[in-house]
Amino acid sequence: MTQSNGNHDLFENLRLELRRGCLSLAVLSQLRTERYGYTLRKALAEQGLDIDEGTLYPLLRRLEAQGLLTSVWREEEKRNKRFYRLSLEGKQMLKQLGTEWQKINASLSGIL
Amino acid sequence: MELLDRYLHAVEFWLPKRQRHDIIAELSEDLRSQIEDKEATLGRKLDDAEVETILKRCGSPLMVALRFRPQQYLIGPTLFPVYCFVLTILLLGCIVPRTIIWLVFLLVDPARAGYLHMENMLSTLVFFAFFTTVAFAILEKTGALSGTLNTWNPRKLPAVREPKRIPRSSSLFEIAALVVMTLWFTSIFKPTTVFNFFGAQITVASAWKAIFWGFLLSTAGGIAIAVANLFRPYWTPLRATLRLIVDVLGAAVFCWFLKAQILIAITAPSLPAARATKLTSVINFLLLRTLPWAVVAMLIIAACDIYRIVRLRSPKQPVSGPQINDLSHSIVNGR
Repeated sequence: MTQSNGNHDLFENLRLELRRGCLSLAVLSQLRTERYGYTLRKALAEQGLDIDEGTLYPLLRRLEAQGLLTSVWREEEKRNKRFYRLSLEGKQMLKQLGTEWQKINASLSGIL
Repeated sequence: MELLDRYLHAVEFWLPKRQRHDIIAELSEDLRSQIEDKEATLGRKLDDAEVETILKRCGSPLMVALRFRPQQYLIGPTLFPVYCFVLTILLLGCIVPRTIIWLVFLLVDPARAGYLHMENMLSTLVFFAFFTTVAFAILEKTGALSGTLNTWNPRKLPAVREPKRIPRSSSLFEIAALVVMTLWFTSIFKPTTVFNFFGAQITVASAWKAIFWGFLLSTAGGIAIAVANLFRPYWTPLRATLRLIVDVLGAAVFCWFLKAQILIAITAPSLPAARATKLTSVINFLLLRTLPWAVVAMLIIAACDIYRIVRLRSPKQPVSGPQINDLSHSIVNGR
């Protein structure tokens, strides 16, 4: 493995680590309005936050199991789709996490 | 859509049974939406190569399925270093002494090397590794160690050992033991080839004289080093080397004693000549059979002494970091 490859891999790992914590917040924020998985992915991608299927769906399931989301299967355009939205707990959590994010962002902006 | 169906079927295989249907339905819906979007953009049906690109981007079926499973491990990240440490100690404890003993027997007493059965070493190792792993898996599952890990106290941590320091108590003990042993030895044995014990006459080989003085020389050396250690209780490379020489000398003399067929004859008024001859050969035989174990002990003592010398010569930084003098030197030099 060359030095540049090693650096690239390291950067990728650190970038993924950095993104991982933000994804829950981003997903919660986009589910203030009801969406199903594919439209949620598109909405996030439009905001510049690409997320693949293999990451999004397990995350949605985890957030639902934690009581932050509710979901329902419904037919739309002749296909069954699972629609997600924030639960009451999810709304409170989003508020808290949003405040925390602002603090971290302000601190990091100062540091960087 | 054949490729898509095959892909979903492969993902489904690795999913938890209870969630399979739900997950596949959702994933299928996402992938079909992607394909439809692409078809709408291109204004035609996608060919297999284009569908393949979408599926490849999604990830291998196993990787995709694993993300839906809870993280599982036999031994978690907290216990894993402890597990590695214990396993290493156990396996080394199993391999090293046994190999040393086997090698010594092979060299000194090859006829008896076979009874150590080196062939079952692998099964012993597997046995140790298996039960250690099971024990740690149980500790992980039950969380038995989590209480200990959360209630630690810095005051209960072991004190930092000074590797060069020699406790005065061990020097005193060593001096006392060697003096008592020397007095006992010289009160019973003399540098002669004939002894009289309670009416019995024992004749020993002429090598005994050299063994006698060799033993006294090594105990005198041991006492001298212990006295030096008592007043200067820190190992130096010179003293550690002298210690190695004295220990090897003592062990060599002892091995010589075992090997030298030291007993020539035993004569006593109440002992028939035939029995006396038999007794002499039995004692010599037993001494000789002890030889491999004495060699093993000698090797272990020599290894410890050599390790001490190597450790003293290695320029290792103390665990507490640089000394105050070093820091002030750095500050003065602007580093």
